[in-house]
Amino acid sequence: MRIITEAVAGTLESSDLLVKVSPSREKTLEIHVTSDVMKQFGTQIRRVVDDTLQGLAVTDGLIVIEDKGALDYAIRARVQAAVLRGAASKELNWEQLS
Amino acid sequence: MPAELEFYTVDAGELSQEREQIERLLRESDLGWDSRVGTFVVCREGAQLIACAGLDRDVVKCVAISPAFRGSSLSLQLGSELLKVAMERGHFHLFLFTKPENAVFFRGWGFYPLVEVQDRVTLMENSPIAIRKYCKDLQALRQPGGKIGCIVMNANPLTLGHRYLAEIAAGACDWLHVFIVREEASMFSYAERYELASQGLSNIRNITVHHGSEYIISRATFPSYFLKGKCAVDECFTAVDLLLFREYIAPALDITHRYVGTEPICQVTNKYNQDMKLWLEAANSRSPSIEVVEVPRTTWRGGPISASEVRRLLQDKSLGKIEELVPESTMNLLISRFGDKQKSEMTHGVEH
Amino acid sequence: MKLRRSMLFLPGAKAGMLSTAFVYKPDCVMFDLEDAVSLREKDSARLMVFHILRSHVYQGIETVVRINPLNTPHGLKDLEAAVRAGADVIRLPKTDSASDIQELDAQVERIERECGRVIGSTKLLAAIESASGVINAVSIATASKRMIGIALAGFDYVIDMQSQRGDKAEPELFYARCAVLHAARAAGIDAFDVVYSDVNDDAGFLKEVELIRHLGFNGKSLIHPRQIDLLHNAYAPTVKEVSYARRVIEAAEKAEREGVGVIALDGKMIDAPIVCHAQRVLQRAEASGVRR
Repeated sequence: MRIITEAVAGTLESSDLLVKVSPSREKTLEIHVTSDVMKQFGTQIRRVVDDTLQGLAVTDGLIVIEDKGALDYAIRARVQAAVLRGAASKELNWEQLS
Repeated sequence: MPAELEFYTVDAGELSQEREQIERLLRESDLGWDSRVGTFVVCREGAQLIACAGLDRDVVKCVAISPAFRGSSLSLQLGSELLKVAMERGHFHLFLFTKPENAVFFRGWGFYPLVEVQDRVTLMENSPIAIRKYCKDLQALRQPGGKIGCIVMNANPLTLGHRYLAEIAAGACDWLHVFIVREEASMFSYAERYELASQGLSNIRNITVHHGSEYIISRATFPSYFLKGKCAVDECFTAVDLLLFREYIAPALDITHRYVGTEPICQVTNKYNQDMKLWLEAANSRSPSIEVVEVPRTTWRGGPISASEVRRLLQDKSLGKIEELVPESTMNLLISRFGDKQKSEMTHGVEH
Repeated sequence: MKLRRSMLFLPGAKAGMLSTAFVYKPDCVMFDLEDAVSLREKDSARLMVFHILRSHVYQGIETVVRINPLNTPHGLKDLEAAVRAGADVIRLPKTDSASDIQELDAQVERIERECGRVIGSTKLLAAIESASGVINAVSIATASKRMIGIALAGFDYVIDMQSQRGDKAEPELFYARCAVLHAARAAGIDAFDVVYSDVNDDAGFLKEVELIRHLGFNGKSLIHPRQIDLLHNAYAPTVKEVSYARRVIEAAEKAEREGVGVIALDGKMIDAPIVCHAQRVLQRAEASGVRR
């Protein structure tokens, strides 16, 4: 999936996360996560994000995440929602989302 | 679970009964009404408005929450709603000014501090990395040398005065970085001003003409610059703009000197020049100080050459008098834009 | 027999509620993609529900998804997400006729085939929200083998009836409740009562629960976790009911051991429905204890 426009999904509320995606000029994939629980869960959060992006075949873009203590399911959902909102093609392939 | 809370958006022009309640909320938070806010996001519980947050394009303003609801999840819901509305309107990169002690609150909204004028105001943006990425892009345009100069100009339009200042600065430095103010708030469009500057300064060997940005004299970070004569100059805003320059832009390009022309006419610009010496040189900062060099304006027939004078002459339709004040590239644009009626004047214009 | 006393509504877009509501142990949890989610968030909420269903957060609790009606841009996508993610039950809002259920059934079967889910494993729940729905309740309840329940949704129904909800025991719902109950019983499925929206009025809530329990409703839709325990306690059988139920079961087991065709207790004949009822009583007792 290609990110062609800026998009956002999620909220700032507790247990949720705010995901902002935008196209990358340099055609690189850059991911930034900030979280109050970065020390304890930073690696885990990052792993789920990477996994989710891989599932959607996102190879470039700028992904900025403000985490408020979200569980894995919410991370997957919000990252997918943001990418789909910012993507060129809106075709949903359920296998990619699983 | 709270009682029915309803969030909705109101454009400032359509406020009716909400206006009074918003003013009350703002008063409770020691804030005043800001007529530049174009859109409000409000939260209502029954008939009462209990929270509001305003948007002046990409600047968040007038955030107030009724005391009874502070510290609850309401503030995060309000922030989420506000962000969504801003982004729906195409504003993804947002700024806000707040008292330093409130910076923590807005951190919860995903805002990160850029600069702080101690005990007075903090400027924040809604990204942990935007300024860093911007500086990284600038770093790629670094030039070697121990004395690196910088000029920030609106160039509306580029005059011989601008060229003179640039030539002086470039002559004294190893390299000169010129930034053109990016806002579309001037007689000449940004595209025109940038083009004129690139052409008009092309005779200088050691120069880079940069595109302006939100971080260098923009509506978001230095609003009073664009309200010349219409409101009192707020020195907090000049401090913020100058600290941004000192703490981020100058280090990215190794800038050691900032050049400005003396300002005899425009009050705002003159105050800005004086503030420069305070904030770039004198004030305490973790970033090295930058020397401010005020260069006396070059003159034509006893009067300083300034862009405002050129614009005045344009409005007076005295195109002929402008020729001595601007470089050829600027003159060509002026003729092509304004010149048809005055072309006959021009062909006879030798005796001016 | 699946106990479905409490069906807790959770807005599909609210991570805070989705992540924590399982601790309250409702019998069923209903993820709402319809009225609780704004139009601009439909896509995001759908993904939240898809992923939480696939996670283990609600293992052990029956999961229901309220999709948008199938004649909206969102309904079918909601259905794809819910079935593929393994939701136990699909709740169809604004069910007006049997054909609504038949259409839903066909779509569910198609999706089950496409994603390799056991055909028939996705159940259906019809929500009645209009006069037509009430009148068609029986045909709706029997429209599909997947049907496990029929629910009355009070808010929209009352508007459709050009009536309004009063504060206390409301005559405006009386006929609708009875119709839904009869349909459920005729079809052999569960009946669910309306939401009680004043979450601070325990007394009013309990009064309504007492009424509907008495009428025979299997359960009720809830909008706040604190209503769960109140409801479960109200549905708990009394000591007297439990001891009688035990005796009925013992008598039934005795008759079976002795190969006797007729079950007798206290000189009376006990037939199958009474045994069934006794089993339900004991089941409820096990779930939430007894009350005085």
